Amino acid sequence: MALGKKKEERVKPSYMKLTPKTVLLYVAIILFCVIVISPLVIVFSSSLRTPGNQTSPLALFIEFSGASYAKAFNSMNYPMELINSFVTTAGSVLCIVIFATMAAYPIGRIKTKLARFLYFFFISGLIIPSQMVIVPIAQTLNRLGIPNTRFTPMIMFITCSLPFSVFLFSGFMKGLPVEIEEAAYIDGASLGKRFTTVVFPLLQPAIISCVITQGLWIWNDYFYPMVFISKKAQYSLPVGMLQFLGDKENPAQWNVLFAACVLCALPLIVVFLALQKQFVNGIAAGAVKG
Amino acid sequence: MRKMLTALALAGVMTLAASQTVMAYNHEAIENAGEITITMMVSGTAYENDFETEKLPALIKEKWPNVTFEVTKLPDDNYYTSLKTKLASGECPDMILTQPMYAGQNSCYALAEAGYLVSLNDLDVVQGRQDLASVTYEGDIVTSTSGVSILGCYYNKDLFAQAGIESEPQSWDEFLEDCQKLQDAGIQPIVMGDKDQYVLQFGLYQLAANEIYPKNPEFDVQLRTGETKFTDEGTWDKVLEMYKTLYDNKYIDASMSLGYGASQAITDFIDGKAAMTFDGSFNAAALTAEGAAGAFERGYFPIPGTEGVYTATCLSAGYSIYSGSKYIDECKEILDYWQNGSSPVWHAHLDTGRIIATYGEGADTAPNYELFKPFIDLLNEGKGYYWCNQAWPAGTETEMEVLFSEMVGGQGTTVEDITEGMQEKFEDLMED
Amino acid sequence: MAQQTRKKRKGGNSSLIFSNKMYVFLIPALAMFLVFWIYPVLQLFYYSITNFNGINYNFDFVGLKNYQKVLSNGTLTNSLKNTMIYAVFTVTLSNILGMAVAMALNTKIRLKGLFRTCAYFPALFSAIVVGFIWSYVYMPGSGMIANLLSNIGMNGAAFNPLGNFRTALYAIAIVEVWKGFGTTMIIYLAGLQTVDESILEAGQIDGCTEWQLISKIKLPLISSTVTINVILSVIAGLKAFDYSFIMTNGGPGKSTKTLMFQVYETAFTDLKMGRASAFSVMAFAFIIVITVLMLLYLNKREVEL
Repeated sequence: MALGKKKEERVKPSYMKLTPKTVLLYVAIILFCVIVISPLVIVFSSSLRTPGNQTSPLALFIEFSGASYAKAFNSMNYPMELINSFVTTAGSVLCIVIFATMAAYPIGRIKTKLARFLYFFFISGLIIPSQMVIVPIAQTLNRLGIPNTRFTPMIMFITCSLPFSVFLFSGFMKGLPVEIEEAAYIDGASLGKRFTTVVFPLLQPAIISCVITQGLWIWNDYFYPMVFISKKAQYSLPVGMLQFLGDKENPAQWNVLFAACVLCALPLIVVFLALQKQFVNGIAAGAVKG
Repeated sequence: MRKMLTALALAGVMTLAASQTVMAYNHEAIENAGEITITMMVSGTAYENDFETEKLPALIKEKWPNVTFEVTKLPDDNYYTSLKTKLASGECPDMILTQPMYAGQNSCYALAEAGYLVSLNDLDVVQGRQDLASVTYEGDIVTSTSGVSILGCYYNKDLFAQAGIESEPQSWDEFLEDCQKLQDAGIQPIVMGDKDQYVLQFGLYQLAANEIYPKNPEFDVQLRTGETKFTDEGTWDKVLEMYKTLYDNKYIDASMSLGYGASQAITDFIDGKAAMTFDGSFNAAALTAEGAAGAFERGYFPIPGTEGVYTATCLSAGYSIYSGSKYIDECKEILDYWQNGSSPVWHAHLDTGRIIATYGEGADTAPNYELFKPFIDLLNEGKGYYWCNQAWPAGTETEMEVLFSEMVGGQGTTVEDITEGMQEKFEDLMED
Repeated sequence: MAQQTRKKRKGGNSSLIFSNKMYVFLIPALAMFLVFWIYPVLQLFYYSITNFNGINYNFDFVGLKNYQKVLSNGTLTNSLKNTMIYAVFTVTLSNILGMAVAMALNTKIRLKGLFRTCAYFPALFSAIVVGFIWSYVYMPGSGMIANLLSNIGMNGAAFNPLGNFRTALYAIAIVEVWKGFGTTMIIYLAGLQTVDESILEAGQIDGCTEWQLISKIKLPLISSTVTINVILSVIAGLKAFDYSFIMTNGGPGKSTKTLMFQVYETAFTDLKMGRASAFSVMAFAFIIVITVLMLLYLNKREVEL
């Protein structure tokens, strides 16, 4: 698939004519979207009420108050957790892109059994869930003398992301023409130079895809930060959300809980709305390339 | 060895550390430590202005400006996972919340057996105390706790009056009659949040305290030696059958309760939607809060048994020091200050209304003390028994909860299946 | 000389440009993967033949006893059954929904971007937030659906999907579909956009019905997309854990205990790390077998189509 340059030449979009069949299609799809989005709308509407106001939750947007947000904001220590989430996600994703593109280079280019084996070796990591191996992982960290800091969950995020990312990049690499590299080789470029100046820039669509899919996962994951972070000052947003767990069935606390939910997802929502096209293309590219 | 010790502990026969001569720890450790950070991890839900996560660190700072006391509070399941991972990675916080004997995944016996807990025999606050058997492992007190926890039945006095009930029930039959009266008056008698299956213990342990332990206080010890079994007639079959009656008659509506969370049940109770709920003293603050039904008067009684009233009361969960901590003596200083019966920390802890102190200033003026008094009286009369799961290997109670849910959820499980399942699980867990 | 080259080509790497020197690039990733993933997994195999309880490191070897126990005590059967139902349900529903919506959006429809955004939106939320939101949606009495039912005059109080043994598993599977189908849809949409319009037009001229266009032309052309989507959702379904953990805690009874939840509970509630490891090893083998079989089957179909 030609990435990035899909059918953007739709200069003058010609929409379907309204026939009974297309009307039915519109009705169906609107209804479907309403059903899908309705929990989120109610959550958003409730979060705008004052804490404890539970009168008829289905009456949407009858009150606009920032009180629930203020409460959630303070009890989560939002700015701090936001920064932590950002640092963890950005740091991990950066390392993932570097390590995985490097690893994918030989795997995608060398055509031997060993390279093929390595490819499947990495992919096999996709199948193992982290809950299963958390205790041995903790012991390994202990043996290596790695203390619990904000970097510990990052180590695990990078490691766990390698299978998918190596899979993504090596798949993409196979589709890249070798001729440019041959030219660089003849020009006497070193291996490192070839990678950084020729191959890496060509991987850009796959890199965007990797950043989006892995960033989304890392931002939202609570497991590794929960078990590997000891200091409150290093909590990320999803870990902060855990403290609301007891409130999920307590109507009196809902408005605050919902405000916290919105706050937790807000950065992603903003990024998504701003970069929708890259998002959608990135996710699709990641999978279709495989 | 472990078995024998349990036997001793359960029988309440004590060889307490207090009688031994112990070396005093360094009471000036914090003063000479410079700037330090001490960490603690506990389980539970953080309330507004929370004691552990907010007040405690502030009060410690006030007392020792050079100490930063960091407290993490996690929901139970996450607490257990975190604890295990942190132990495995050698990164356990300096202090952790532990439970008496074998209760739960943070049971002090299991952790002490593995060598993770520091002996607290030299704490000032444990000297001379005779009630710490269930937190003493092989002669070492490993958990510092200042009070007891109760299981009981919270009730709404207004709704009781509405149904024409004048006094608290004194026998099981009376209790059932009262439930019927409430039901006839169109009031939901009992609300439970059985989606959080652990709440099943709240009722069942009270019934066990009534029906099993008075007849055989050694029941659980003998479980370990094989002399008794969960399947023995007139023991757990009776308890489960009694508790099932409440579901059979819809005094507890299983079709609702199985999808109800624990906090939702509490909300229903304070909103006046049900007359009773079984819960512990540790949730008193939430259960006495004002809900949609306003500030109605609440009472708290032990579920009565067929032959008298006993209370399911035990030592509260307490605080232990991790053996790998760099600040063992500092932690001891903190514990001694916290639990000395008169410090500001002590008072702040009592003011939560969630603990029932057995000593110290203000123990009998703490919030909710009036609610708890009848239980304490029973306890002092010797009519109190510990919570069953403290004597069982962790996981036995889960099996009981699962099978009981299946029974009241109409899965065809019988009382016999439950006792057999519990016995099987117990033996399985005792292995290795 | 010539012979030597041929020999080299068969087994080793003879390329001058892509020489074995390139393996140097593999070092950081491979080192991390080996140390923090493969080694702990091997450790797990080792624990599976011990009576390690997760706390006390003085443990003994017990041979294959853990494996026998897992096979005989019924937890495997129950959790396997739940996982299979969950996986089949989520894979089917999210792929059908994802494909249907993708096809609807791949027409010349107005507001396409808005619809796509709506369908994808749930995927942005963390599992824990999704668990919170759906706990509210499903809550009996005062939850969203119960309220809706009451508002239209039905008995909202009786609506209790998580409290019912028959429905709880499907109820949490729906949550998984809600969060996941948007991603599936986007992948299908990308696949469908690669289908050449002219082929479809040719089909129309030949008098194909709408359904024939879909089943005879579109589906075969995007079969590799189907494969990847199905495999991704199968793996996600078999690894199901989050919503059992956050929303139902495995209940009521054992009705929402999935493989991963059971492993977790064995390790952390029953303090049977050894047995949980044996359980993991078997679960791991099971997931591999299922995934490989699915891959083989789907690849075969891809070729046939």
